[in-house]
Amino acid sequence: MNGRLLLGGLGAGVAAYGAVLLLGQDLADLLDIAVWLTVGVLVHDAVLAPLTIVSGLLVARWVPGPLRAPLATGFLVLGATTLLAVPVLGRFGARPDNPTLLDRDYLTGWVVLAALTALGVAAATGLRVVARRSRGPRAGG
Amino acid sequence: MRLPSEQDFSSRLRSPAVSSRVGVWLGVCFAVAFLTGLISHASQVTDQVIPFPASPSWGYRVTQGLHVTAGTAAVPLLLVKLWTVFHRLFTRPPRAARALLLHALERVSIGVLVASAIFMLVTGLANAAQWYPWSFSFRSTHYAIAWVAIGSLVIHVAVQLPVIRKALGEDVDSTDQDRDGGGAGGVGGGGSPTGEEPAEAGRTSSRGVLTRRGLLRSTWLATGVAVLATAGSTVPALRRISVFGVRSGDGPAGIPINKSAKSADVLGSATSSSYRLTVVNGDREVVLSRADLLAMPQRREELPIACVEGWSASGTWGGVRVRDLLDLVDAPAGSDVKVDSLQESGPFRSSLLQGNFADHPLTLLAVELEGEPLAIDHGYPCRIIAPNRPGVLQTKWVDRLEVV
Repeated sequence: MNGRLLLGGLGAGVAAYGAVLLLGQDLADLLDIAVWLTVGVLVHDAVLAPLTIVSGLLVARWVPGPLRAPLATGFLVLGATTLLAVPVLGRFGARPDNPTLLDRDYLTGWVVLAALTALGVAAATGLRVVARRSRGPRAGG
Repeated sequence: MRLPSEQDFSSRLRSPAVSSRVGVWLGVCFAVAFLTGLISHASQVTDQVIPFPASPSWGYRVTQGLHVTAGTAAVPLLLVKLWTVFHRLFTRPPRAARALLLHALERVSIGVLVASAIFMLVTGLANAAQWYPWSFSFRSTHYAIAWVAIGSLVIHVAVQLPVIRKALGEDVDSTDQDRDGGGAGGVGGGGSPTGEEPAEAGRTSSRGVLTRRGLLRSTWLATGVAVLATAGSTVPALRRISVFGVRSGDGPAGIPINKSAKSADVLGSATSSSYRLTVVNGDREVVLSRADLLAMPQRREELPIACVEGWSASGTWGGVRVRDLLDLVDAPAGSDVKVDSLQESGPFRSSLLQGNFADHPLTLLAVELEGEPLAIDHGYPCRIIAPNRPGVLQTKWVDRLEVV
């Protein structure tokens, strides 16, 4: 228990140091930082998480058995990767004077990734169907 | 409509057995990003008592590549981790005063952890793509919040340590530490009380979409895909498959650029025939044209240009050793050198080469790259290229070296 208290105290000290560093900023920037800290959590908790949960419910209710797990995996792979690619997909930082920055065709890249994901989901589903048949009609569920 | 309660989230995937396992790797990613971030910070503070080392020459390339890769890998891990504990957001607070206080303290620490963790990943990814949709300074804020994130992570581990240890010591399908409501009908988030089916032997997910092992495997897969899709900006072997890399690796002489001559507003001054380089040590001063530089002993060194945004590329640079230039004005060994650019404004218009960098045999004032004269966007007429140094300090369009 003492070890955990010590660890917790260390963590509090480290976090407090970060807060002190922040205080060096001027008020307008601090407000902007507060907005970005809050909006990140809100977007996750109020938008991304409910969307994921509803998708899970829909998959469980409407999608046939062998497709469910591969579809969930595909959703996770493509969803997470798409989310982290938002800055490049939107090309928000692109500048006309620097052609070496954001110099890929990101939309085509996304389509290829989505197609590969769909292919993977289809292949995994096929394997499951075959495995189920060979186990007999009562297996699986 | 009512707010959901903790019991509404009945998936058996929402268990410490799963969140601990994802959490370990998320913690590893945050630790790597934090430590490499400290290294990057140290490399940019050039007036410190203990100077940043000039070797190995590829050091910063590796640490900063790791920094951005660890942050990218943390995105799928954080999403899954938050999903597995999302029900805790709706935990009813206890009634007893002391328990309520502890509960509130833990809630606050979790709130700070989640907010700072998301902030770090969002600002880091945006910065890698040079997108700044905010008014605050990226560098100082990303640095300050990093301490908050890692501190609250340490608090979180301290609070949860017994749960984590128990969970990791048991099978992933163990239900020992599960919530009471998490028994049956686990369906990706909200279970239906009807339509339960007997669980498959050895699996805890009854009507669930994924088993626990399936969710973990999917998480590792998503993390791997995230890394492969982006790391090509710093790992040349991955260039062709990194469809979301911020750089393809192309550019003048095969090296990308960060700041163009146009945006630095040096197109005129850098190509002017009246360009001169001034080397100063106290009252000793030498003025050189680009032709004078080319007449000095030329060296060729292979050195990486490694940017704080995480991309990097290796090139063969040709030019004059900075030490040879300092010898022209009899600068003593170990002298710190201020490097000025033709650029008239901007935070990186000048940099400090600490003595260990200025004296290093690999540190050049480069005039060519890959055997071609330096492109204007690479810093023509000449630029600094030194080992183990972030790109922002490899000052371009240099017109003055001064011993300080």
